[in-house]
Amino acid sequence: MKITEKLTSKVAQVRRQKLVKAMQNANLDAMVLYGNAWQNDYLRYGVDFGILEGEGIAIVTRDGQATLYLDDAFEADRASVECDDITIVVSKDIVQDVAAKINGFGNSNIAAAPQRHLPYGLARLRQKHNIADATETIDHLLMVKAEEELQAIRRAARLADEGYAVFRDAAQIGVEDYALIAQIEAFFRANGVDDNFMIIGSGGPEVRGMAPPSGKKLKAGDLVTTELTPCIDGYYVQICRTLVVGPPSEAQQKAFSVYHEAMVAGIDIVAPGISASDIAKAENDVFRKYGLGDYVTSEYTRVRGHGLGLFPDTKPHLLEGVPTLIEQGMLLIVHPNTYHPEVGYMVLGDSLIVGAEGPEVLTTTPRELFSVAQTRSAS
Amino acid sequence: MRHGLMKWREDELSQADVLSRQYRLQQAMETHGLDGVLVYTNHVRSAAVTYLTGFSPYWSDALLFLPATGKPLFATALSKRVGNWIKSTNPTSDIAHSPRPGELIGEQMVAIGCRKIGVVELDHIPGGLIDEIAGVSNAQLEDASAIFAAVRTVRDAAEIALVEKTNQIAADAFASAPTERNLVGDVTEALELYVRNAGAEECYVAIAPDLKKDTRLARTKGQVALGETFAIRLSIAYNGVWIRRTETFARTSGESSFQSLALWANGLSNGINPSKNLSSQLATSSLPAGVSISRWTLEAPLGNRPLEAIATMENEVVRPLPYGVLTIQLDTKQGPVVLARPIGLYLSLLSVGAAT
Repeated sequence: MKITEKLTSKVAQVRRQKLVKAMQNANLDAMVLYGNAWQNDYLRYGVDFGILEGEGIAIVTRDGQATLYLDDAFEADRASVECDDITIVVSKDIVQDVAAKINGFGNSNIAAAPQRHLPYGLARLRQKHNIADATETIDHLLMVKAEEELQAIRRAARLADEGYAVFRDAAQIGVEDYALIAQIEAFFRANGVDDNFMIIGSGGPEVRGMAPPSGKKLKAGDLVTTELTPCIDGYYVQICRTLVVGPPSEAQQKAFSVYHEAMVAGIDIVAPGISASDIAKAENDVFRKYGLGDYVTSEYTRVRGHGLGLFPDTKPHLLEGVPTLIEQGMLLIVHPNTYHPEVGYMVLGDSLIVGAEGPEVLTTTPRELFSVAQTRSAS
Repeated sequence: MRHGLMKWREDELSQADVLSRQYRLQQAMETHGLDGVLVYTNHVRSAAVTYLTGFSPYWSDALLFLPATGKPLFATALSKRVGNWIKSTNPTSDIAHSPRPGELIGEQMVAIGCRKIGVVELDHIPGGLIDEIAGVSNAQLEDASAIFAAVRTVRDAAEIALVEKTNQIAADAFASAPTERNLVGDVTEALELYVRNAGAEECYVAIAPDLKKDTRLARTKGQVALGETFAIRLSIAYNGVWIRRTETFARTSGESSFQSLALWANGLSNGINPSKNLSSQLATSSLPAGVSISRWTLEAPLGNRPLEAIATMENEVVRPLPYGVLTIQLDTKQGPVVLARPIGLYLSLLSVGAAT
């Protein structure tokens, strides 16, 4: 079955043009892009479809034409409504179909991305067809956004703030974590948010991180951590905040002040020309200053922030030792999230665009340790 | 990602249930001369690992290696910080964390002397993971999708009960939907909230806002106006089991005729066996006069995908299935009607590879 549609959104047009230009610069005839609902950014850069079920593979040729192979007829129906300017092919085995297409390319110059996720049925054709690895090329396109992309990103940031306000309003003693998240998801769906990366933590010093909801009920004194990452037109923007059920203790306030200082230190040095490592070091130095250096290691934390965009956890990862150059047009979250030995896991983070002169912080929710009235309880 | 409730519920799916599934696969390994079976998972291709362990990742990916004898090893790129959550929701596996999970699995294969490994959907596994395995192990990898599917088709009471429960959540969500509805968002927000509050692990809502113009279902934004008739599809995961339920509504009048068609569709859940010829079963299903079937699709879980298309009206395929989801498009005097129901729910229908 083939469905051809017209039109496409401006931002998708811009991305396709940038991709084609990169292909021409690399003398490529065709680009193979793989995606699924988890890792969809490479695929979505080439064809503007937010895949949910099954897998998708796009072939973009240097004349800008794109064909999207989907293995789910319902998803193909959806793609034909939601996407435009591409040819959609639905088949039971898209790996086999795309492999056949690649075999038919003869001596053309072909590249594919992302290298790690490319299905084995295609990956094993790499040598035979001399398929180049385009991961680095696409990574750079994904990291450095065009102005049209930044407009969608600013809209997503507004919803991140509004979503956190909904979260604060819904947080109360006795409410189960999944019911709290249900409120946010319903709010996001009603407001055009296609997807949301969100994990949650609640409790005290026993809590080492965030995870999906497991039915835990909020109780007085809990630190409640979350990162909200709404997606608008494919672009994810994140906010991290912590609230306390009831009045914060002195220890919680004192701990929070370290996270606040670290986040500000990280944000303040953001500028084109520094490295991802520089930002992480600025954050970590604050923890080290307060004798909390152990808690910025991989034993307690993953990253000190990361890139955002068509994937909620894209490159560069903000870690000491990551040399990636920070460039104008990147979208980052700076979040010194980690475990604190006295109070438990705590998060604080704001998203920003790297401007010519420094950061444009997108999220506007106050940088506070929020408190939810202890008298408020779920019915 | 998965946003909903993800916890181990022994009363719904017990460790004994998943251990018996693992044992059946190990028996099949012996028959086929395999030293182990490797299964990939992420939150999109989660079904095979969920079937064997009850576990679904909310994010990232992982490999499950089930040796011919002994306990499975679950190697994931998810960090140690979520290790306790993984252990709590995957109690029958040994858990290992690594940014290179393929390498960990390859080392395990070497440690126990594996020579031939079956891989579920080998061609779809991320090539990077296969590279990691091949970097440390010389074991021969061969596709084991058919072997797994044969084990998977055995129906068990726990799974059917979960399908029934998930279907009931969907039915109750539709029953609780607002009757005053003009915009897409008037219905979809309430449905998603209901489903998630009922403890679903995931919920996708798709809608055809004006069925007379277009029967394709999409993730339409909330501000779009509803037409005279519209259809909504709920795709729901609950405790690892996926179903779809689609209903058609009239915004103003004529709801009663759609309700009678919905009741007819309800009857399919226990009246149709997904493992037998569907066309002939549908032909005897007492469809109301003046209504005809213009399209149907049968989906079922057989491999890594929670639901995959097995057969259509144009391409009938009959094979053993654990349960199915049937989506039907009907032609009626009021225009097209789209309905979907899980089918083969009642164990009394059990005629395929019954679990003992």
